[in-house]
Amino acid sequence: MNFGPFLFAAPGALLALLALPALWWLMRATPPPPQRTPFPPARLLQGVQTQEHARDRAPWWLLLLRALAAALLILAFARPTLSPGAFVQSGRTLIVIDDGWTAAPNWSEARDVAIAAASEAERADAPVFLLLTAPSTPPRDPGEALTGADARALITRLEPKPWRPDRADAAARLARSRAKYDRIVWISDGLDDAGAQALASELLQRGPVSAYLPTSTARALISGAVTPEGVVVEARRASNGPASGAVAAETSDGRALGAGELRFRGDELSTRARVALPPEIAARAARVRIVGEQGAGAVRLLPAGSARPFVGLIDPGGAGQPLLSDLFYVQRALSPYASLQRGSVQQLLDARAQALVLPDAGQISPLDSAAIEQWVERGGLLVRFAGPRLANTPSDRLLPVRLRQGVRSFGGALAWEAPLAIGTFPQDSPFAGLSPPADVAVRMQVLAEPSSLLEANVWAALSDQSPLITARVRGRGLIVLFHVSATPAWSDLPLSGVFVEALRRTLAFAGRAGGASPNDTIGGQFIAQRLLDGFGALSTAPADTRPIAPEAFALAQPSPTTPPGLYERGGVSDAIQAARADESLSRLSLPSTIARAGLGAGAARPLAGWLFAAAAIFLAADLLVALLLAGRLPRFRRASAALLLLLVAAPIERAHAQAAASDPTQALRLAYVRTGEPRLDRLSAEGLAALGQALAARTSVEPGTPAAINLESDELSAYPFIYWPAPSAPRRLSDRALANIDRYLAIGGLLLVDTRDGGRADARPAASMLDGVDAPPLEPVTEQHVVARAFYLMRSFPGRVANTQLWAETALAASARDGVASIFIGNGDWAAAWAGAGGERELALRFGINLVMVALVGNYKADQVHVPALLERMGEPR
Amino acid sequence: MSNSPRLDALALAGDLPGVLLDARRLAASAPGFHGRRRAGQGEDFWQYRDHSPEDGARLVDWRRSARGDRYFVREREREAAQTAWFWIDPETGFNWSSDAKTPTKLRRARTLALALATLLARGGERVGVLGHAPRRGANAVDRLALDLAAPVTDAQAPEHACLIFFSDFYAPTETWRQRLGAAAASGASGALVAIADPAEEIFPYRGRTLFQAPGAKMEALVGRAESAREEYSARLQQHRRAIRELGARAGFETMQYRTDHSPAPALALLSALVAERRG
Repeated sequence: MNFGPFLFAAPGALLALLALPALWWLMRATPPPPQRTPFPPARLLQGVQTQEHARDRAPWWLLLLRALAAALLILAFARPTLSPGAFVQSGRTLIVIDDGWTAAPNWSEARDVAIAAASEAERADAPVFLLLTAPSTPPRDPGEALTGADARALITRLEPKPWRPDRADAAARLARSRAKYDRIVWISDGLDDAGAQALASELLQRGPVSAYLPTSTARALISGAVTPEGVVVEARRASNGPASGAVAAETSDGRALGAGELRFRGDELSTRARVALPPEIAARAARVRIVGEQGAGAVRLLPAGSARPFVGLIDPGGAGQPLLSDLFYVQRALSPYASLQRGSVQQLLDARAQALVLPDAGQISPLDSAAIEQWVERGGLLVRFAGPRLANTPSDRLLPVRLRQGVRSFGGALAWEAPLAIGTFPQDSPFAGLSPPADVAVRMQVLAEPSSLLEANVWAALSDQSPLITARVRGRGLIVLFHVSATPAWSDLPLSGVFVEALRRTLAFAGRAGGASPNDTIGGQFIAQRLLDGFGALSTAPADTRPIAPEAFALAQPSPTTPPGLYERGGVSDAIQAARADESLSRLSLPSTIARAGLGAGAARPLAGWLFAAAAIFLAADLLVALLLAGRLPRFRRASAALLLLLVAAPIERAHAQAAASDPTQALRLAYVRTGEPRLDRLSAEGLAALGQALAARTSVEPGTPAAINLESDELSAYPFIYWPAPSAPRRLSDRALANIDRYLAIGGLLLVDTRDGGRADARPAASMLDGVDAPPLEPVTEQHVVARAFYLMRSFPGRVANTQLWAETALAASARDGVASIFIGNGDWAAAWAGAGGERELALRFGINLVMVALVGNYKADQVHVPALLERMGEPR
Repeated sequence: MSNSPRLDALALAGDLPGVLLDARRLAASAPGFHGRRRAGQGEDFWQYRDHSPEDGARLVDWRRSARGDRYFVREREREAAQTAWFWIDPETGFNWSSDAKTPTKLRRARTLALALATLLARGGERVGVLGHAPRRGANAVDRLALDLAAPVTDAQAPEHACLIFFSDFYAPTETWRQRLGAAAASGASGALVAIADPAEEIFPYRGRTLFQAPGAKMEALVGRAESAREEYSARLQQHRRAIRELGARAGFETMQYRTDHSPAPALALLSALVAERRG
């Protein structure tokens, strides 16, 4: 039952309103209790009769108060709900939901609006139709009528899909239903696409449409790559997407590796962000996400196979002496760059190793030999090492060259030759560019038959040109032989950095020898391992997910048949990303005939609680009045009791209004002194805004918008940090301003006076700015000063120019404030540097962050100075 | 008030110094009373006079006489054998004030009683609370104050005593007829000090009011208090007249006093009354 925008869940209770007149009469007939007063000669008053009986009827305003309280209670019991949507005559309702990942950031609001619409239809006993614009299998038929309750249950279970809506398809599905609706609610993701206009016009033909749009739309990461500098991503947004945030790199099990700043400057719709990580840590990054943003598009998967090959180490057994194991040095060298697994040949081939490392081996069993050969033919990479066993067995087929029997040994007691160094790497070798280490001596090697060298490539040789590393293409694969052992027994090579680099470069051929891409090298279909949901969380793929053929995979876009997630094929991992590389995000523009509302506006608000509260306040007021009439308010004079009554009845909104006003004590705000020069003031505002963003992104300080202050008239004590740039023509301040500054410095504020004359000859002295200020003695700021270590460790404090001078109040002068300097004077023109108008912006921002930290936490970090001394003392034996 | 007399006394003792101070200040400002200034039975030295033969040898003050050729007799100052007895109304309604700023009737009664006792003690008189032993000497007033704090017993007055009743006299006339009749029968006389709260005279109440006598189950509901003022005032005057007549018949002078008035004139009047009665 509804009256205007109010719906009543229990309209029967409203019948009680009929009883209000009776209640009125009853209350009128009951006089209020008399006031009681002690009176010793009460006996004398016995039997005194007065003609009139004053106030034996309740005063009309008290009656009104009580009647109002009763009416409010009755209304509250009727459980009213304020729902703006109830204006609409609810009838056949079509709820259109954009349920792609683009809706995920605002999903709970979207769901609330949809549930509210379904509930309204339920109250009107009207059928509900549901049109989900994101593709699904099987697609939802918008012609299927649901009851309100069913629709609500369905919407409650609904989750966004990890692909974007296909509105053209939705419009086509709707066109097939040919139905008319009394009300159409379009809960949109707020982003435009090719089918948006088609859907809008289709909807308009079917009935009155009201669209609910989110205030801020989804963002997407459209590319992501692991580079030597870390993980680099490219992000995109629509014009009403949030401008700043952070991206974080995570491992496959969800641990965060690091984060980087994400910022769209100005109106930029796409930007790059970097998570700076060392290579071996970056190699463990499995995905990047926009921190705090829900949505599959805000996640970029970095499939493991692209960065880290899966290498099998063929274990000869004998793990008892790890340092003597042939595989120890290889394992140590490769573990940062590859996924390693030890095992037998058969195990490793079954596990689809992309590369195999075979240490010194004599006879390989014919079965293994055949399997390896077949695997290499199909594209595998086999890396072998020499050793006494290889040297004493005849050459097998799994070698790049034919070997001579025996070992060439130099530098021994019976040898003429001295140990040899590694020669320059040949130009056509993958090791070209590495500088041969001078301190690596090779004492023993296996030698190749010279004739067989013609078919093989020599990747490295000793200084006498005898081959050290040889390789040979076999089929699609590659066989590489190190002519020395994998242990330091034969040479120093396993102990050197070149060994690591050589193995790493060799691994680049893993799974794609002969220039073939890994997809083509190993057959089979792509099988889903873990799939993204609409919110960007990975979960194990359901068993019925269909494998995808390699040729389709390369072109696959996120869709129900090719859901985004991690896939694997023959040990090689790859991904279908939720956000395409050419993802376009732009704001949805709708025809003017569609009514618009913000998400969250359509939610129904139950009012019963408010009504109960109002009734309780009225009853409390009534109680006060009754006490007042009975003279039972002993401590208060009547006037103060009336005042109390007024306070209780006074609307609480006033307090809210006050809080909402721009009260600097409500949020931390950086402040700058308004100089009256528009350009300078704008620069200060931009600089402080940039500093504020840096603070919010890197520290737990989240300042509001910078405040411009007037030294004469404004109350400064609310601002912990004030930036004061020198105007072009500094004047002496008025006495009021001087007193204000003195007071600000005395109560512990921090003032940064920027003379802005760094690197210029015509120096503007701070003297005229501070003329009259009770300036404390100053000292130059050194590396030992707390501002050099409050957040970042800094050696200098560059602003727009690199070499700046910075002076601060001496610790002695500031001893009343625990040694925290209250005034800093420098010439860096830092606001310009913060705003990006020149200079080392990053270093300047760091200085700004340090300074704000000093303003907020004082000399907290100054203790760091004493750390060496403390450590030394702790280390002393007792 | 609680049931334990000791607790009552303790609670009251908190109030005692204040009352004593009030009384001393009051007494200091009152016109002084002095000794009888004639020789008589007493303890304090009054004068030496020449020995006369009818005095006999026993009265010769040998220490003084040895310093000269004549015989001297030491005379002591005559002491008043009179005792002033106080009675203060123990009703709960007596310990009441309409406004926190004016003292209660009980406190005023005690102040007046102690002030009067101070004056009398200074003049060498004995003072006492009815039902307790009479006190005299330097500490008489302090002792009296403690006696006043003790619960009151309706004891029989001694023969020919000087009795001073402090009360609001709101008890029924019959009660007072018996009480004063008993006092008169033992030959006592004295004064009735009727102490009233201003509210009891002005009757400032308005509206529908239930008047409750404190400590008693007496209640009176008045529909419109402001219009009952006239009648109350008449009844109060009538009651007071009745008390005054009762007192006059039993030999008690009645004086009316209001707690918001200064106690000094009342004290002067009271001391004059007592002095006059003693002759």
